[in-house]
Amino acid sequence: MALLKVSGLTKRFGGLAAVEDLDFSIQGGELLSIIGPNGAGKTTLFNLLTGFYRPTSGRIIFNNADITGLKPYRITRRGMVRTFQMTHIFQNGTVLDNVIIGRASHSRIGLLESILGTPSARREKKKAIEKAREIISFVGLEDQKDKTAHYLTEEARKRLSIALALATEPKLLLLDEPAAGINLEEMGGLMELIDRIRKIGISVCLIEHRMRMVMSISDRIIVLNYGRNIADGTPEEVANNEDVIKAYLGGYRAAQC
Amino acid sequence: MKNLFSSKTKAWFLALALAVAVPPVVGGYLVSILTLICIWSIMCFSINIIYGYTGQLSLGQAAFFGIGAYAFGILTVKLHMGFWPAFLAAVVITGLIGFLIGIPALKLRGPYFILVTLGFSVIIGVVLVAWVDLTGGANGLAGIPRPNPVPLPWGGQLSFDSLLSIYYFVLFFLLIIMIFTNSLISSLLGKTLVAISYNETLTESLGINTMSRKILSFTISAVLAGIAGVLYGSYNVVISPEIAYFAKGMDVVAYLIVGGAGTMAGPILGTLVLMAVPELLQVVPSLKTLINGIILMLFLVFLPSGITGGVDTLWVKIFRSRISQHGPAQG
Repeated sequence: MALLKVSGLTKRFGGLAAVEDLDFSIQGGELLSIIGPNGAGKTTLFNLLTGFYRPTSGRIIFNNADITGLKPYRITRRGMVRTFQMTHIFQNGTVLDNVIIGRASHSRIGLLESILGTPSARREKKKAIEKAREIISFVGLEDQKDKTAHYLTEEARKRLSIALALATEPKLLLLDEPAAGINLEEMGGLMELIDRIRKIGISVCLIEHRMRMVMSISDRIIVLNYGRNIADGTPEEVANNEDVIKAYLGGYRAAQC
Repeated sequence: MKNLFSSKTKAWFLALALAVAVPPVVGGYLVSILTLICIWSIMCFSINIIYGYTGQLSLGQAAFFGIGAYAFGILTVKLHMGFWPAFLAAVVITGLIGFLIGIPALKLRGPYFILVTLGFSVIIGVVLVAWVDLTGGANGLAGIPRPNPVPLPWGGQLSFDSLLSIYYFVLFFLLIIMIFTNSLISSLLGKTLVAISYNETLTESLGINTMSRKILSFTISAVLAGIAGVLYGSYNVVISPEIAYFAKGMDVVAYLIVGGAGTMAGPILGTLVLMAVPELLQVVPSLKTLINGIILMLFLVFLPSGITGGVDTLWVKIFRSRISQHGPAQG
Protein backbone atom coordinates (compact mmCIF):
# COMPACT_ATOMS: atom_id res chain seq x y z
CA MET A 1 0.00 0.00 0.00
CA ALA A 2 1.37 3.37 -1.03
CA LEU A 3 2.02 6.02 1.64
CA LEU A 4 0.64 8.73 -0.65
CA LYS A 5 -1.67 8.16 -3.57
CA VAL A 6 -2.80 11.01 -5.79
CA SER A 7 -5.46 10.41 -8.42
CA GLY A 8 -6.94 12.74 -11.02
CA LEU A 9 -5.62 15.79 -9.17
CA THR A 10 -6.50 19.04 -10.96
CA LYS A 11 -6.13 22.68 -9.98
CA ARG A 12 -7.41 25.45 -12.23
CA PHE A 13 -6.86 29.16 -11.65
CA GLY A 14 -9.62 30.67 -13.78
CA GLY A 15 -9.14 29.03 -17.17
CA LEU A 16 -5.53 28.05 -16.56
CA ALA A 17 -4.83 24.51 -15.36
CA ALA A 18 -1.72 24.66 -13.13
CA VAL A 19 -2.01 20.95 -12.37
CA GLU A 20 -4.06 18.69 -14.60
CA ASP A 21 -5.29 15.15 -14.05
CA LEU A 22 -2.22 14.07 -12.13
CA ASP A 23 -1.79 10.49 -10.92
CA PHE A 24 1.17 9.30 -8.90
CA SER A 25 2.06 7.61 -5.64
CA ILE A 26 4.88 7.55 -3.12
CA GLN A 27 5.79 4.28 -1.39
CA GLY A 28 6.90 4.16 2.24
CA GLY A 29 10.65 4.85 2.50
CA GLU A 30 10.90 6.10 -1.05
CA LEU A 31 12.58 9.29 -2.31
CA LEU A 32 10.55 10.69 -5.18
CA SER A 33 11.74 13.77 -7.05
CA ILE A 34 9.49 16.06 -9.03
CA ILE A 35 11.22 17.97 -11.81
CA GLY A 36 10.06 20.14 -14.67
CA PRO A 37 10.47 23.60 -16.15
CA ASN A 38 9.48 26.73 -14.23
CA GLY A 39 5.72 27.06 -14.13
CA ALA A 40 5.15 23.34 -14.62
CA GLY A 41 3.03 23.21 -11.46
CA LYS A 42 5.50 21.70 -8.99
CA THR A 43 4.96 24.15 -6.14
CA THR A 44 1.21 24.21 -6.87
CA LEU A 45 1.28 20.45 -6.39
CA PHE A 46 2.93 20.88 -2.96
CA ASN A 47 0.31 23.49 -2.05
CA LEU A 48 -2.42 21.02 -3.01
CA LEU A 49 -0.88 18.12 -1.10
CA THR A 50 -0.45 20.15 2.08
CA GLY A 51 -3.87 21.80 1.98
CA PHE A 52 -2.82 25.37 1.17
CA TYR A 53 -4.83 25.08 -2.07
CA ARG A 54 -8.08 23.22 -2.47
CA PRO A 55 -8.05 21.00 -5.55
CA THR A 56 -10.56 21.67 -8.34
CA SER A 57 -10.98 17.91 -8.59
CA GLY A 58 -9.18 14.70 -7.69
CA ARG A 59 -8.28 12.75 -4.57
CA ILE A 60 -5.33 12.70 -2.21
CA ILE A 61 -5.02 9.56 -0.07
CA PHE A 62 -2.33 9.72 2.62
CA ASN A 63 -1.59 6.90 5.03
CA ASN A 64 -4.88 5.15 4.06
CA ALA A 65 -7.03 8.20 4.73
CA ASP A 66 -8.60 10.71 2.36
CA ILE A 67 -7.04 14.08 3.18
CA THR A 68 -8.43 16.04 0.21
CA GLY A 69 -9.53 19.51 1.30
CA LEU A 70 -8.26 19.27 4.90
CA LYS A 71 -6.70 22.36 6.48
CA PRO A 72 -2.87 22.54 6.37
CA TYR A 73 -2.44 22.08 10.12
CA ARG A 74 -4.54 18.90 10.04
CA ILE A 75 -2.48 17.42 7.21
CA THR A 76 0.73 18.19 9.11
CA ARG A 77 -0.68 16.45 12.18
CA ARG A 78 -1.37 13.39 10.05
CA GLY A 79 2.30 13.24 9.13
CA MET A 80 2.89 15.14 5.88
CA VAL A 81 4.87 18.36 6.19
CA ARG A 82 6.61 20.67 3.75
CA THR A 83 9.34 23.25 3.51
CA PHE A 84 8.93 26.40 1.44
CA GLN A 85 10.84 27.56 -1.60
CA MET A 86 11.54 30.94 0.03
CA THR A 87 12.97 29.15 3.09
CA HIS A 88 10.36 30.19 5.65
CA ILE A 89 11.83 30.35 9.14
CA PHE A 90 10.98 32.52 12.15
CA GLN A 91 13.60 35.22 11.49
CA ASN A 92 13.39 36.92 14.91
CA GLY A 93 13.64 33.78 17.03
CA THR A 94 16.70 31.76 17.95
CA VAL A 95 17.34 28.44 16.24
CA LEU A 96 16.14 26.66 19.38
CA ASP A 97 12.95 28.76 19.59
CA ASN A 98 12.25 27.98 15.94
CA VAL A 99 12.43 24.24 16.39
CA ILE A 100 10.41 24.36 19.63
CA ILE A 101 7.55 25.89 17.62
CA GLY A 102 7.88 23.06 15.13
CA ARG A 103 7.30 20.76 18.07
CA ALA A 104 4.42 22.75 19.62
CA SER A 105 1.66 21.00 17.67
CA HIS A 106 2.34 17.91 19.79
CA SER A 107 1.39 19.77 22.96
CA ARG A 108 -2.17 19.36 24.21
CA ILE A 109 -1.75 21.91 26.98
CA GLY A 110 -4.58 24.45 27.16
CA LEU A 111 -4.71 28.08 28.19
CA LEU A 112 -5.34 27.59 31.90
CA GLU A 113 -2.53 25.08 32.39
CA SER A 114 -0.17 27.29 30.36
CA ILE A 115 -0.84 30.32 32.55
CA LEU A 116 -0.70 28.46 35.84
CA GLY A 117 2.46 26.64 34.74
CA THR A 118 1.15 23.28 35.97
CA PRO A 119 3.57 20.34 36.25
CA SER A 120 2.21 18.83 33.01
CA ALA A 121 2.68 22.15 31.17
CA ARG A 122 6.25 22.39 32.43
CA ARG A 123 6.90 18.77 31.54
CA GLU A 124 5.62 19.29 27.99
CA LYS A 125 7.77 22.39 27.57
CA LYS A 126 10.84 20.56 28.85
CA LYS A 127 10.14 17.68 26.50
CA ALA A 128 9.72 20.09 23.57
CA ILE A 129 13.07 21.72 24.36
CA GLU A 130 14.81 18.33 24.66
CA LYS A 131 13.31 17.13 21.40
CA ALA A 132 14.22 20.41 19.69
CA ARG A 133 17.86 20.07 20.79
CA GLU A 134 17.93 16.52 19.44
CA ILE A 135 16.63 17.65 16.05
CA ILE A 136 19.01 20.62 15.95
CA SER A 137 21.99 18.34 16.39
CA PHE A 138 20.51 15.92 13.84
CA VAL A 139 20.58 18.64 11.17
CA GLY A 140 24.00 19.82 12.35
CA LEU A 141 23.22 23.21 13.86
CA GLU A 142 24.03 22.50 17.53
CA ASP A 143 26.78 25.11 17.66
CA GLN A 144 24.36 27.79 16.42
CA LYS A 145 21.29 26.93 18.47
CA ASP A 146 21.23 30.24 20.39
CA LYS A 147 21.80 32.38 17.30
CA THR A 148 18.91 34.49 15.99
CA ALA A 149 17.71 32.83 12.79
CA HIS A 150 18.07 36.09 10.90
CA TYR A 151 21.87 35.90 11.24
CA LEU A 152 22.27 32.39 9.81
CA THR A 153 23.91 31.67 6.46
CA GLU A 154 21.65 30.59 3.60
CA GLU A 155 22.78 27.00 4.01
CA ALA A 156 22.07 27.02 7.76
CA ARG A 157 18.63 28.50 7.04
CA LYS A 158 17.88 25.59 4.73
CA ARG A 159 18.91 23.17 7.45
CA LEU A 160 16.80 25.05 9.99
CA SER A 161 13.72 24.97 7.75
CA ILE A 162 14.18 21.20 7.45
CA ALA A 163 14.62 20.94 11.23
CA LEU A 164 11.32 22.80 11.72
CA ALA A 165 9.55 20.32 9.47
CA LEU A 166 11.24 17.33 11.16
CA ALA A 167 10.11 18.59 14.57
CA THR A 168 6.50 17.81 13.61
CA GLU A 169 7.58 14.12 13.30
CA PRO A 170 6.42 13.53 9.73
CA LYS A 171 6.06 10.29 7.81
CA LEU A 172 6.50 12.16 4.54
CA LEU A 173 8.68 15.24 4.11
CA LEU A 174 8.11 17.52 1.11
CA LEU A 175 11.17 19.63 0.24
CA ASP A 176 10.66 22.57 -2.11
CA GLU A 177 13.99 23.40 -3.79
CA PRO A 178 16.22 22.86 -0.75
CA ALA A 179 19.39 23.32 -2.82
CA ALA A 180 18.47 26.67 -4.37
CA GLY A 181 21.03 29.35 -3.56
CA ILE A 182 23.71 27.17 -1.98
CA ASN A 183 27.09 26.13 -3.42
CA LEU A 184 28.23 22.70 -4.59
CA GLU A 185 30.02 21.77 -1.39
CA GLU A 186 27.00 22.73 0.73
CA MET A 187 24.82 20.72 -1.64
CA GLY A 188 26.88 17.65 -0.73
CA GLY A 189 26.14 18.27 2.95
CA LEU A 190 22.46 18.68 2.20
CA MET A 191 22.34 15.40 0.27
CA GLU A 192 23.99 13.68 3.19
CA LEU A 193 21.30 15.14 5.50
CA ILE A 194 18.48 13.95 3.23
CA ASP A 195 20.09 10.52 3.23
CA ARG A 196 20.06 10.42 7.04
CA ILE A 197 16.42 11.57 7.09
CA ARG A 198 15.52 8.58 4.93
CA LYS A 199 17.49 6.25 7.18
CA ILE A 200 15.28 7.15 10.15
CA GLY A 201 12.28 5.99 8.12
CA ILE A 202 10.91 9.23 6.68
CA SER A 203 9.86 9.24 3.03
CA VAL A 204 10.94 12.26 1.02
CA CYS A 205 9.38 14.07 -1.92
CA LEU A 206 11.75 16.56 -3.49
CA ILE A 207 11.29 19.45 -5.91
CA GLU A 208 14.67 20.43 -7.27
CA HIS A 209 16.34 21.97 -10.29
CA ARG A 210 19.90 20.86 -9.46
CA MET A 211 20.08 17.79 -11.70
CA ARG A 212 23.30 16.40 -10.26
CA MET A 213 21.53 16.11 -6.91
CA VAL A 214 18.23 14.80 -8.31
CA MET A 215 19.85 12.13 -10.45
CA SER A 216 22.04 10.79 -7.66
CA ILE A 217 19.64 10.62 -4.71
CA SER A 218 16.23 9.83 -6.22
CA ASP A 219 14.67 6.38 -6.27
CA ARG A 220 12.16 7.59 -8.80
CA ILE A 221 11.47 10.80 -10.70
CA ILE A 222 8.30 12.23 -12.15
CA VAL A 223 8.45 15.02 -14.71
CA LEU A 224 5.79 17.72 -14.89
CA ASN A 225 5.19 19.92 -17.90
CA TYR A 226 2.25 22.34 -18.10
CA GLY A 227 0.74 20.64 -15.06
CA ARG A 228 0.81 17.16 -16.61
CA ASN A 229 2.88 14.15 -15.72
CA ILE A 230 4.95 13.43 -18.85
CA ALA A 231 7.26 10.78 -17.39
CA ASP A 232 7.57 8.57 -14.32
CA GLY A 233 10.51 6.26 -13.73
CA THR A 234 13.99 5.70 -12.38
CA PRO A 235 16.59 8.48 -12.93
CA GLU A 236 18.05 6.39 -15.77
CA GLU A 237 14.71 5.98 -17.55
CA VAL A 238 13.76 9.61 -17.15
CA ALA A 239 17.14 10.88 -18.38
CA ASN A 240 16.71 8.89 -21.58
CA ASN A 241 13.07 9.77 -22.19
CA GLU A 242 12.68 11.70 -25.44
CA ASP A 243 9.73 13.81 -24.20
CA VAL A 244 11.64 14.80 -21.09
CA ILE A 245 14.72 15.80 -23.03
CA LYS A 246 12.61 17.94 -25.31
CA ALA A 247 10.68 19.62 -22.50
CA TYR A 248 13.32 20.07 -19.86
CA LEU A 249 16.52 18.10 -19.79
CA GLY A 250 18.00 19.24 -23.09
CA GLY A 251 20.11 21.82 -21.36
CA TYR A 252 21.25 19.39 -18.69
CA ARG A 253 22.34 16.74 -21.14
CA ALA A 254 24.23 19.25 -23.20
CA ALA A 255 26.03 20.78 -20.24
CA GLN A 256 26.18 17.68 -17.99
CA CYS A 257 26.11 19.73 -14.81
CA MET B 1 23.24 37.19 29.22
CA LYS B 2 22.81 36.36 32.89
CA ASN B 3 23.90 39.87 33.77
CA LEU B 4 21.24 41.29 31.47
CA PHE B 5 18.54 39.12 32.99
CA SER B 6 19.28 39.93 36.60
CA SER B 7 19.53 43.66 35.96
CA LYS B 8 16.16 43.54 34.21
CA THR B 9 14.65 41.80 37.21
CA LYS B 10 16.14 44.48 39.44
CA ALA B 11 14.58 47.16 37.26
CA TRP B 12 11.17 45.50 37.61
CA PHE B 13 11.40 45.39 41.40
CA LEU B 14 12.53 48.99 41.50
CA ALA B 15 9.56 50.00 39.33
CA LEU B 16 7.18 48.06 41.59
CA ALA B 17 8.64 49.68 44.71
CA LEU B 18 8.20 53.12 43.14
CA ALA B 19 4.63 52.32 42.08
CA VAL B 20 3.78 51.34 45.65
CA ALA B 21 5.75 54.00 47.55
CA VAL B 22 5.44 57.18 45.48
CA PRO B 23 1.65 57.81 45.36
CA PRO B 24 1.11 58.26 49.14
CA VAL B 25 3.94 60.82 49.12
CA VAL B 26 2.79 62.89 46.15
CA GLY B 27 -0.92 62.47 46.88
CA GLY B 28 -3.95 64.22 45.40
CA TYR B 29 -4.10 65.03 41.73
CA LEU B 30 -1.10 62.90 40.75
CA VAL B 31 -2.72 59.80 42.27
CA SER B 32 -5.66 60.09 39.91
CA ILE B 33 -3.26 60.51 36.96
CA LEU B 34 -1.36 57.41 38.08
CA THR B 35 -4.63 55.47 38.43
CA LEU B 36 -5.54 56.39 34.86
CA ILE B 37 -2.04 55.41 33.70
CA CYS B 38 -2.53 51.97 35.31
CA ILE B 39 -5.95 51.55 33.64
CA TRP B 40 -4.58 52.51 30.23
CA SER B 41 -1.57 50.27 30.78
CA ILE B 42 -4.02 47.39 31.13
CA MET B 43 -5.57 48.50 27.83
CA CYS B 44 -2.08 48.53 26.39
CA PHE B 45 -1.53 44.94 27.56
CA SER B 46 -4.80 44.11 25.86
CA ILE B 47 -3.57 45.42 22.50
CA ASN B 48 -0.14 43.91 23.21
CA ILE B 49 -1.59 40.38 23.30
CA ILE B 50 -3.38 40.61 19.96
CA TYR B 51 -1.00 42.99 18.15
CA GLY B 52 2.33 42.98 20.00
CA TYR B 53 2.54 39.21 20.36
CA THR B 54 0.09 37.73 17.82
CA GLY B 55 0.65 40.38 15.14
CA GLN B 56 -3.00 41.20 14.38
CA LEU B 57 -3.55 44.95 14.66
CA SER B 58 -6.92 45.72 16.23
CA LEU B 59 -8.19 49.29 16.36
CA GLY B 60 -11.32 48.12 18.18
CA GLN B 61 -10.04 47.82 21.75
CA ALA B 62 -11.89 50.98 22.84
CA ALA B 63 -15.13 49.20 21.99
CA PHE B 64 -14.31 46.35 24.38
CA PHE B 65 -13.32 48.92 27.00
CA GLY B 66 -16.73 50.55 26.53
CA ILE B 67 -18.58 47.22 26.57
CA GLY B 68 -16.85 46.25 29.82
CA ALA B 69 -17.56 49.59 31.47
CA TYR B 70 -21.20 49.76 30.30
CA ALA B 71 -21.97 46.11 31.08
CA PHE B 72 -20.65 46.71 34.59
CA GLY B 73 -22.51 50.02 34.89
CA ILE B 74 -25.83 48.59 33.71
CA LEU B 75 -25.55 45.50 35.91
CA THR B 76 -24.80 47.49 39.04
CA VAL B 77 -26.84 50.68 38.53
CA LYS B 78 -29.91 49.32 36.73
CA LEU B 79 -30.00 45.70 37.89
CA HIS B 80 -28.52 46.35 41.35
CA MET B 81 -26.06 43.49 41.11
CA GLY B 82 -23.23 43.28 43.64
CA PHE B 83 -19.77 44.60 42.76
CA TRP B 84 -17.92 41.30 42.30
CA PRO B 85 -20.66 39.33 40.45
CA ALA B 86 -21.15 42.33 38.14
CA PHE B 87 -17.39 42.60 37.59
CA LEU B 88 -17.21 38.94 36.62
CA ALA B 89 -20.32 39.09 34.43
CA ALA B 90 -19.12 42.23 32.62
CA VAL B 91 -15.77 40.65 31.82
CA VAL B 92 -17.41 37.41 30.61
CA ILE B 93 -19.80 39.39 28.38
CA THR B 94 -16.89 41.36 26.89
CA GLY B 95 -14.91 38.18 26.27
CA LEU B 96 -17.91 36.51 24.64
CA ILE B 97 -18.47 39.45 22.29
CA GLY B 98 -14.75 39.44 21.46
CA PHE B 99 -14.97 35.74 20.66
CA LEU B 100 -18.03 36.19 18.43
CA ILE B 101 -16.51 39.17 16.58
CA GLY B 102 -13.17 37.38 16.28
CA ILE B 103 -14.54 34.36 14.41
CA PRO B 104 -15.50 36.25 11.22
CA ALA B 105 -13.02 39.14 11.60
CA LEU B 106 -9.90 36.99 11.95
CA LYS B 107 -10.68 35.17 8.71
CA LEU B 108 -9.46 38.42 7.15
CA ARG B 109 -5.82 39.33 7.11
CA GLY B 110 -3.81 42.55 7.33
CA PRO B 111 -5.62 45.79 6.50
CA TYR B 112 -9.00 44.06 6.12
CA PHE B 113 -8.91 42.82 9.70
CA ILE B 114 -7.86 46.28 10.91
CA LEU B 115 -10.79 47.88 9.08
CA VAL B 116 -13.30 45.42 10.55
CA THR B 117 -12.11 46.13 14.09
CA LEU B 118 -12.27 49.87 13.40
CA GLY B 119 -15.81 49.51 12.01
CA PHE B 120 -16.84 47.47 15.04
CA SER B 121 -15.53 50.19 17.31
CA VAL B 122 -17.46 52.91 15.47
CA ILE B 123 -20.66 50.83 15.64
CA ILE B 124 -20.34 50.29 19.39
CA GLY B 125 -19.80 54.03 19.82
CA VAL B 126 -23.03 54.74 17.95
CA VAL B 127 -24.98 52.08 19.87
CA LEU B 128 -23.90 53.52 23.21
CA VAL B 129 -25.29 56.92 22.20
CA ALA B 130 -28.43 55.70 20.48
CA TRP B 131 -29.70 52.97 22.84
CA VAL B 132 -30.86 55.50 25.41
CA ASP B 133 -33.06 53.12 27.46
CA LEU B 134 -30.12 50.85 28.20
CA THR B 135 -27.10 53.14 28.24
CA GLY B 136 -28.54 56.50 29.18
CA GLY B 137 -27.51 57.85 25.77
CA ALA B 138 -25.22 60.86 25.61
CA ASN B 139 -25.76 61.57 29.32
CA GLY B 140 -24.16 58.27 30.21
CA LEU B 141 -24.54 56.35 33.46
CA ALA B 142 -23.87 57.70 36.93
CA GLY B 143 -23.58 56.13 40.36
CA ILE B 144 -21.31 53.21 39.45
CA PRO B 145 -20.12 51.67 42.69
CA ARG B 146 -16.63 51.69 44.11
CA PRO B 147 -15.20 48.23 44.99
CA ASN B 148 -16.84 46.45 47.94
CA PRO B 149 -14.62 46.12 51.00
CA VAL B 150 -12.61 42.90 50.92
CA PRO B 151 -12.56 41.06 54.29
CA LEU B 152 -9.08 40.19 55.49
CA PRO B 153 -8.33 36.71 56.86
CA TRP B 154 -7.00 38.15 60.15
CA GLY B 155 -10.09 40.26 60.76
CA GLY B 156 -10.92 43.74 59.61
CA GLN B 157 -11.29 44.65 55.96
CA LEU B 158 -9.73 46.40 53.00
CA SER B 159 -12.03 49.25 52.09
CA PHE B 160 -11.79 51.39 49.00
CA ASP B 161 -13.06 54.80 50.06
CA SER B 162 -10.02 56.92 49.27
CA LEU B 163 -8.53 57.72 45.88
CA LEU B 164 -5.28 56.16 47.02
CA SER B 165 -6.94 52.84 47.84
CA ILE B 166 -8.56 52.80 44.39
CA TYR B 167 -5.11 53.35 42.92
CA TYR B 168 -3.77 50.28 44.74
CA PHE B 169 -6.85 48.33 43.65
CA VAL B 170 -6.14 49.13 39.99
CA LEU B 171 -2.39 48.55 40.42
CA PHE B 172 -3.18 45.09 41.80
CA PHE B 173 -5.09 44.20 38.61
CA LEU B 174 -2.28 45.58 36.45
CA LEU B 175 0.19 43.33 38.28
CA ILE B 176 -2.05 40.27 37.90
CA ILE B 177 -2.39 40.96 34.18
CA MET B 178 1.38 41.37 33.81
CA ILE B 179 2.00 38.05 35.55
CA PHE B 180 -0.68 36.47 33.36
CA THR B 181 0.90 37.87 30.17
CA ASN B 182 4.36 36.80 31.21
CA SER B 183 3.38 33.21 31.94
CA LEU B 184 1.29 32.99 28.77
CA ILE B 185 4.10 34.25 26.55
CA SER B 186 6.74 31.99 28.07
CA SER B 187 4.52 28.91 27.62
CA LEU B 188 4.48 26.74 24.50
CA LEU B 189 1.02 28.12 23.69
CA GLY B 190 2.34 31.67 23.93
CA LYS B 191 5.28 30.86 21.68
CA THR B 192 2.87 29.74 18.97
CA LEU B 193 1.08 33.11 19.23
CA VAL B 194 4.39 34.88 18.65
CA ALA B 195 5.09 32.45 15.80
CA ILE B 196 1.87 33.59 14.10
CA SER B 197 3.08 37.19 14.21
CA TYR B 198 6.39 36.15 12.62
CA ASN B 199 4.96 33.95 9.88
CA GLU B 200 1.38 32.72 9.88
CA THR B 201 1.74 30.44 6.85
CA LEU B 202 4.74 28.64 8.34
CA THR B 203 3.02 28.29 11.72
CA GLU B 204 -0.03 26.71 10.09
CA SER B 205 2.25 24.44 8.08
CA LEU B 206 3.87 23.22 11.31
CA GLY B 207 0.58 21.72 12.45
CA ILE B 208 -0.78 24.61 14.51
CA ASN B 209 -4.40 25.69 14.16
CA THR B 210 -3.61 29.36 13.62
CA MET B 211 -7.26 30.39 13.33
CA SER B 212 -8.19 29.05 16.77
CA ARG B 213 -5.03 30.57 18.29
CA LYS B 214 -5.87 33.97 16.83
CA ILE B 215 -9.43 33.77 18.15
CA LEU B 216 -8.07 32.81 21.57
CA SER B 217 -5.67 35.76 21.52
CA PHE B 218 -8.40 38.18 20.42
CA THR B 219 -10.76 36.91 23.13
CA ILE B 220 -8.06 37.38 25.78
CA SER B 221 -7.42 40.89 24.51
CA ALA B 222 -11.17 41.64 24.74
CA VAL B 223 -11.25 40.31 28.30
CA LEU B 224 -8.32 42.51 29.33
CA ALA B 225 -9.94 45.58 27.73
CA GLY B 226 -13.18 44.66 29.54
CA ILE B 227 -11.33 44.56 32.87
CA ALA B 228 -9.84 47.99 32.13
CA GLY B 229 -13.36 49.25 31.34
CA VAL B 230 -14.82 47.95 34.59
CA LEU B 231 -11.96 49.47 36.60
CA TYR B 232 -12.44 52.79 34.83
CA GLY B 233 -16.18 52.80 35.52
CA SER B 234 -15.62 52.03 39.17
CA TYR B 235 -12.87 54.63 39.47
CA ASN B 236 -14.73 57.40 37.64
CA VAL B 237 -18.23 56.59 39.00
CA VAL B 238 -19.67 58.14 35.81
CA ILE B 239 -19.31 56.77 32.28
CA SER B 240 -20.31 58.33 28.99
CA PRO B 241 -20.10 57.15 25.36
CA GLU B 242 -16.85 59.07 24.72
CA ILE B 243 -14.90 56.37 26.58
CA ALA B 244 -15.59 53.98 23.69
CA TYR B 245 -14.75 56.56 21.00
CA PHE B 246 -12.72 54.71 18.36
CA ALA B 247 -9.85 57.23 18.54
CA LYS B 248 -9.15 55.97 22.07
CA GLY B 249 -8.43 52.57 20.54
CA MET B 250 -5.86 54.24 18.29
CA ASP B 251 -4.33 56.10 21.24
CA VAL B 252 -3.56 52.78 22.92
CA VAL B 253 -1.88 51.50 19.76
CA ALA B 254 0.28 54.64 19.82
CA TYR B 255 1.17 54.01 23.49
CA LEU B 256 2.20 50.46 22.63
CA ILE B 257 4.32 51.42 19.63
CA VAL B 258 6.12 54.16 21.57
CA GLY B 259 6.72 51.78 24.49
CA GLY B 260 7.66 48.78 22.35
CA ALA B 261 5.20 46.21 20.99
CA GLY B 262 5.57 42.59 22.02
CA THR B 263 7.46 43.35 25.23
CA MET B 264 6.54 43.36 28.92
CA ALA B 265 7.79 46.85 29.73
CA GLY B 266 6.54 48.50 26.53
CA PRO B 267 2.87 48.94 27.49
CA ILE B 268 3.77 50.63 30.77
CA LEU B 269 6.58 52.82 29.43
CA GLY B 270 4.54 53.96 26.43
CA THR B 271 1.46 54.78 28.49
CA LEU B 272 3.59 56.55 31.08
CA VAL B 273 5.38 58.70 28.52
CA LEU B 274 2.40 59.59 26.34
CA MET B 275 0.06 60.29 29.26
CA ALA B 276 2.56 62.00 31.52
CA VAL B 277 4.26 64.32 29.01
CA PRO B 278 1.13 66.36 28.13
CA GLU B 279 0.12 66.29 31.80
CA LEU B 280 3.47 67.65 32.98
CA LEU B 281 3.49 70.29 30.24
CA GLN B 282 0.06 71.41 31.49
CA VAL B 283 -1.22 71.88 27.95
CA VAL B 284 -4.83 72.35 26.88
CA PRO B 285 -6.52 69.02 26.05
CA SER B 286 -6.65 69.66 22.31
CA LEU B 287 -2.87 70.01 22.22
CA LYS B 288 -2.39 66.58 23.83
CA THR B 289 -3.32 64.82 20.62
CA LEU B 290 -0.88 66.98 18.70
CA ILE B 291 1.98 66.30 21.11
CA ASN B 292 1.25 62.56 21.16
CA GLY B 293 1.06 62.54 17.37
CA ILE B 294 4.47 64.17 17.11
CA ILE B 295 5.98 61.77 19.64
CA LEU B 296 4.48 58.79 17.75
CA MET B 297 5.84 60.04 14.42
CA LEU B 298 9.31 60.57 15.85
CA PHE B 299 9.31 57.03 17.21
CA LEU B 300 8.02 55.48 13.98
CA VAL B 301 10.78 57.21 12.02
CA PHE B 302 13.73 56.95 14.39
CA LEU B 303 12.95 54.10 16.77
CA PRO B 304 10.19 51.81 15.45
CA SER B 305 10.98 49.18 18.09
CA GLY B 306 9.93 51.68 20.79
CA ILE B 307 11.55 52.60 24.07
CA THR B 308 12.30 48.99 25.02
CA GLY B 309 13.85 48.36 21.61
CA GLY B 310 16.03 51.44 22.09
CA VAL B 311 17.15 50.33 25.54
CA ASP B 312 18.01 46.87 24.22
CA THR B 313 20.01 48.30 21.33
CA LEU B 314 21.88 50.54 23.75
CA TRP B 315 22.55 47.55 25.97
CA VAL B 316 23.93 45.53 23.10
CA LYS B 317 26.24 48.44 22.20
CA ILE B 318 27.56 48.64 25.76
CA PHE B 319 28.10 44.89 26.11
CA ARG B 320 28.90 44.25 22.46
CA SER B 321 31.73 41.84 23.17
CA ARG B 322 29.56 39.63 25.34
CA ILE B 323 26.42 39.50 23.25
CA SER B 324 27.54 39.88 19.64
CA GLN B 325 27.71 36.11 19.32
CA HIS B 326 24.00 35.80 19.96
CA GLY B 327 22.52 38.78 18.14
CA PRO B 328 20.54 41.51 19.88
CA ALA B 329 18.76 40.64 23.09
CA GLN B 330 15.06 39.94 23.02
CA GLY B 331 12.82 42.50 24.72
